[in-house]
Amino acid sequence: MGMLHLMKYQFLHTVRERANMFWAFAFPIILGSLFYVSFGNGDMGEDMEALRTAVVEETEDSAGKENFLAFLEELDGDVLETEQMEEKEALAKLKADEIDGIFYAGREPELTVAKSEMEQNILKALLDTYQRNAEVMQTAGEKHPEAMGAAADALREWERTTKEVSVGGRTLDPGISYFFALIAYAALSGIYLGIQSCCDSQPNLSALGARRCITPTHKLKLILCSFVVLFFIQFINVMVLTGVVRFLFHMDLGGNVAGIILINLLGSMIGVSVGILLGSISHLQMGMKIGFGVFFTLFTAFLAGLMFGNMKNLIEQRCPIINRINPAAVLSDSYYCMAVYNDTSRMTRNLLILAVMCAVCVGASFFVIRRERYDSI
Amino acid sequence: MVTITNLVKRYGSLVALDHLNLEIEEGEIYGLLGPNGSGKTTAINCMLAILKYDKGNIRIMGREMSPDCYEVKKNIGVVMQNVAVFEQLSVWENVDYFCGLYVKDKKRRHELVEEAIQFVGLEDYRRMRPKKLSGGLLRRLNIACGIAHKPKLLIMDEPTVAVDPQSRNKILEGILELNRQGTTIIYTSHYMEEVEQICTKIAIMDHGRVLAIGTKEELKSMIKTGETITIEAAALSEEQLADLRGFPHVFQLTYEEQVLKLRLSGAKHNLVRILHYLEEQNVTFGRVFSELPTLNDVFLEITGKELRD
Repeated sequence: MGMLHLMKYQFLHTVRERANMFWAFAFPIILGSLFYVSFGNGDMGEDMEALRTAVVEETEDSAGKENFLAFLEELDGDVLETEQMEEKEALAKLKADEIDGIFYAGREPELTVAKSEMEQNILKALLDTYQRNAEVMQTAGEKHPEAMGAAADALREWERTTKEVSVGGRTLDPGISYFFALIAYAALSGIYLGIQSCCDSQPNLSALGARRCITPTHKLKLILCSFVVLFFIQFINVMVLTGVVRFLFHMDLGGNVAGIILINLLGSMIGVSVGILLGSISHLQMGMKIGFGVFFTLFTAFLAGLMFGNMKNLIEQRCPIINRINPAAVLSDSYYCMAVYNDTSRMTRNLLILAVMCAVCVGASFFVIRRERYDSI
Repeated sequence: MVTITNLVKRYGSLVALDHLNLEIEEGEIYGLLGPNGSGKTTAINCMLAILKYDKGNIRIMGREMSPDCYEVKKNIGVVMQNVAVFEQLSVWENVDYFCGLYVKDKKRRHELVEEAIQFVGLEDYRRMRPKKLSGGLLRRLNIACGIAHKPKLLIMDEPTVAVDPQSRNKILEGILELNRQGTTIIYTSHYMEEVEQICTKIAIMDHGRVLAIGTKEELKSMIKTGETITIEAAALSEEQLADLRGFPHVFQLTYEEQVLKLRLSGAKHNLVRILHYLEEQNVTFGRVFSELPTLNDVFLEITGKELRD
């Protein structure tokens, strides 16, 4: 029978089903809003405030002291807001939380902090960087003393002109990984639409399923029409979320609109396909299927870094195969490839993985239910 | 139209259908009558090829029924026991959706949808969603979804459960009208009055077996009961009850809570003789009923229990 007829009514009853649309459409946007609020209202993509730092000069003059003061001077006003003061005053200010840390400029530079938060970690990282550079300079001085001046100039120039960028030439924003994982999670939320649709076709799960089963419409046609419509709805859902992330939350997703559309297309497909496959497993009751859907979306998104931004990297170091088969991680990585690394070949590999997963899920669900008769209804 | 041969369906150790045999001719309204759990719905689901069975054979319109028997399915309409409609679609959209699974031509389909909606009397509810309909109207929508494509064979599984009398009459009249238009109907129910009212042939089922098959007259002629007399009578003594048991044609007597119930084999003037005796004995009596045998009597005599037990 007419596929347009099937698609029309699949669309109408899906978009009118508020509970499923909430989970597939509204919930990811709410979650994104919470991220946005908790990460600091749009400061995520902007520069950090300079860290308030006291500099205590030791009385003894040394080359190390001069070099370290020069290093701090380079950072002053941009990364640091330094102020020279006596140790007593600096310690009082540190205790009163008026400054984030104290640098001691002497033969061996030191750092004193009162807490262990992000600001203090950055100060520690700056000190480490200086010490590494100083070590390099010392080694160079011992082996090629004639080139010391040029090396110092080069190092200063490097510090002045270099900031952290990706290999693709785009700025790395620590918060963006959460939003990539969020979009991946939203795409996978199509699983709820897929489960509902499949249950509406299964006689052992609903009277509606029984009625649809005894019509002369071929099962493949029913599944394909459902898939196309649900995929379209889910694609719109994910595109809306992407728009919200880009234009409302001001996250830089890169300028590759075609890439965004392509990733969202595949993402929507994989969410719906997994849902259809899960829905077609007749031995599970509807509640169990929804429960598994919740677990699947949240767990895969967790592994992709939705709750802990560095999770994907940890998995990549210890068990990279999980990142290859976890659809949320593959989706999130595709975004990285497009928006950060500018790595087209890796993105293509990811999209191919997703396409194969979709084909396997839809094909398997068709074979499961096409001629199925049930033990009990 | 439908031939079921030695159908066996087990749920674990429970035998739901025990060598069921049915032969349903074209143009019949075939009633499957039996208490809840007698196997009626199981038989229907096996016929529709959505339930596995252990043994036997089902042929519909000359073809063995299977899940991909689409040519046969085109000519079958089903009204399920549970209402099977989309909550998110209106009355008109629901009927149009299901009709569209059978009829491709849009213009023809819309005509059929209108006919079905008028047939079940839902003209004023076209735009309403199912959850706003009463139980009776919902059942009518359920029927409209099953009949809109004008099937040759209509299977109705307890379509009047939890339906108000007005809707029930409307549904039963509709079934008779469909049959007059040429539709063969399989109708399952545990309401014997409905089955008696509309079915041209009846199979009485219990424990997955057919106990008796025939027209209602044939079934009633199979049993001993010709008349059942019920009298509200105060304080009958054991002697009086013994006298009544000895009356001609009386083969069963019960007296509980001052209600006397007598079953008699077919004969005339039974009631007159009994009332005359009670007057002679100065027994005070109230309401008196005399009933011809019903399908419940048939079921009672065959199984020893009431149909609604």
